[in-house]
Amino acid sequence: MNSKIGIVIRREYLERVSKKSFIISTLLMPILMLAMMVAPALIVSMSTSDSKTIAVIDNSGFIGQHLKNGDEVNFVSVDIPLDSALARTDLDGILLIDGEILTKPSGVTLYSNGASSMSIEMNITSQIEKAIEAHRLKGYNIENLDKILNEVEATVSMQTFRSDQEEGSNASSSVLSYVIGMIMTLMLYMFLLLYGQMVMTSIIEEKNNRVLEIVVSSIKPSQLMMGKIIGIGLVAVTQILIWTVLISVVSGALLPVIIPAEVMSEVSAYNAGTINMATAVNDAEMIQAISIISNVGYVLGIFGFLLLFLIGGFLFYSSIYAAIGSAVDNIQDAGQFQSIVVFPIIIGLVLSMTVVNDPNSSLATIMSMIPFTAPMVMMARIPFGIATWEIILSLVLLYVSFIAMVWVAAKIYRVGIFMYGKKPTIKDLIRWINYK
Amino acid sequence: MDILKIENVSKSYTGHVALNDVSLSVPEGCIYGLLGPNGAGKTTLIRIINHITAPDSGNVYFDGHILNAQDVYNIGYLPEERGLYKKMKVGEQAVFFARLKGLSKKEATQRLKEWFERFDILNWWDKKVEELSKGMAQKVQFIITVLHRPKLLIFDEPFSGFDPINANMLKEEILKLRDAGSTIIFSTHNMSSVEELCDHITLINKSRNILSGKIDDIRNSYSPNRYMLTFNGDVTVLQSALTDLVTYQIESVPQSSDVQMFVDLKENTSLRDVITIANEKVDIRGIVEVKPTINDIFIQAVNSSNQ
Repeated sequence: MNSKIGIVIRREYLERVSKKSFIISTLLMPILMLAMMVAPALIVSMSTSDSKTIAVIDNSGFIGQHLKNGDEVNFVSVDIPLDSALARTDLDGILLIDGEILTKPSGVTLYSNGASSMSIEMNITSQIEKAIEAHRLKGYNIENLDKILNEVEATVSMQTFRSDQEEGSNASSSVLSYVIGMIMTLMLYMFLLLYGQMVMTSIIEEKNNRVLEIVVSSIKPSQLMMGKIIGIGLVAVTQILIWTVLISVVSGALLPVIIPAEVMSEVSAYNAGTINMATAVNDAEMIQAISIISNVGYVLGIFGFLLLFLIGGFLFYSSIYAAIGSAVDNIQDAGQFQSIVVFPIIIGLVLSMTVVNDPNSSLATIMSMIPFTAPMVMMARIPFGIATWEIILSLVLLYVSFIAMVWVAAKIYRVGIFMYGKKPTIKDLIRWINYK
Repeated sequence: MDILKIENVSKSYTGHVALNDVSLSVPEGCIYGLLGPNGAGKTTLIRIINHITAPDSGNVYFDGHILNAQDVYNIGYLPEERGLYKKMKVGEQAVFFARLKGLSKKEATQRLKEWFERFDILNWWDKKVEELSKGMAQKVQFIITVLHRPKLLIFDEPFSGFDPINANMLKEEILKLRDAGSTIIFSTHNMSSVEELCDHITLINKSRNILSGKIDDIRNSYSPNRYMLTFNGDVTVLQSALTDLVTYQIESVPQSSDVQMFVDLKENTSLRDVITIANEKVDIRGIVEVKPTINDIFIQAVNSSNQ
């Protein structure tokens, strides 16, 4: 009997893995992901290259001299009335500063020719704030003010250590955890939807094709359903494993090449414990991040959990997808039922985005236990390091609900595959569960 | 010995009875016609025999024991609505189905090559199913159905989609299978092929078995004592002479002066009396017994059970 499931699994697996589209997407996806990470940085560096020219009409006669030109903005002092300045088209903007600015800080107006950017506005306000603050400080007539200010000024870079873990010295980088958490969650989201839908469309196809009639005369419908789910699940696992290998190779071999030598030497010094963050020349956050990413054990650990939650989540959701696929005749009819699946998956994704800001909130803890959202929310939390028992409990709950869900789905499937024509309602599906 | 015995089987879905207390026996080695109007419950019965669904009540015996999951290895089923995996290669796919029926990969491949050779389709082996025409796919499906040499074969409308030449070839294959010892359940709406092939039939209407038995017995029991008398002579004379003995219906024979008269003997009338009288009045050219066609029986039985 079990060997029959094996035959079905083999067919489902080989059919998909040998497809050209699978091979191409498996090899291309990591490249695409890499591009997605690099692209924002590229876009930022390109967009800042053209700086804006802003004319300053300074009625206070004070602020203008304190505005410094930067990468994105050039200030030009003009001595013309606002009306004629507004008529000029060669300017990107006109900054009008009120004469009473020192006592009334709200007296600043920016007339922008075209949309103004948030970063320019922040640049201007912070420069004006600093100028006014400096002016006001001077009013106190403090001796050696400049020297004091220089000594007081500090640029903060924070390191976080976990105090609740045994190897308490392990540095954790929140930013990196945030990024890894988001990537894991997005991957789960993508996999659950993509592969879950694959189960559904494949069942609809079998049903439309009428090949089902032949198959179920040799194998129980529930066995066929399980074989299909497992076969397609193995395709997903194969893809993840290939990606793990690719990413490990990239992070192991490529990182030292891409990253400047002096940064790498600091990373290895940091790993060896010979330097301390406070004395590091380069950005501490970055050193930590690189150190963690190039730690193969850490990467494998994260992927291990990803795999467990992916398999559990996939089995859980794909059994729902299987039940839906069996009940309808075509993809169009599946739409309404699909929201049963898509809705909680999206909720899980949205929750994960808030969860990464506070991974130990009670909302995060509860949602990472409920099977519908557990895979995504838990994967968002894991990079921050949470108690092992929580992860295990979440996994156990997920796998137990998967078994319950398969049982229900098999009952619907068994009836649904022989129903043609009328589109069933949710009520029909529930009634099918109770058929003998 | 009955290969299949159905005892008081009932099955209902919500608000709809598919089978109501159906019993029938299929003797080993025969071709058994399973007939009935659309929606009568045939497919449900076939699914129960295939162990796809379970009856609500009643028993199904296969080869002397209660039908169990292992018996699917000894049953081959060609459904009316049938298809294949479109993207899969013909050979691979046939091996897949054969393995589900318990054959090893090696055995399946060997037997398949034999069949493919016999049907002269060996060059299809590496083609994808979507490249085949409907008739070609039907041939492959037929081979898949019979490959594991099941004791019981169930064909649901096997000839639909075949041209006359291939349909004939299929008919011969079915007869060969019967001669080799397989029992065949044959479900169709094509009554002439039932007359040609079946030894036994069961007629299901509105979820009940309304007629079951050997095809000859059934034909004899339906409108017996009907004869066709061909003669030459005065029709009105014969009519008035026979009017107390038979009910009749007259047809003229084209391009001939002969007349054909269909006579149904009334109760207590013997054929001998009719012949004697007719012989005196007209020239008898011939007289034959008219057996009802399965088509007639089908319509008559269904109509009378509907009333």
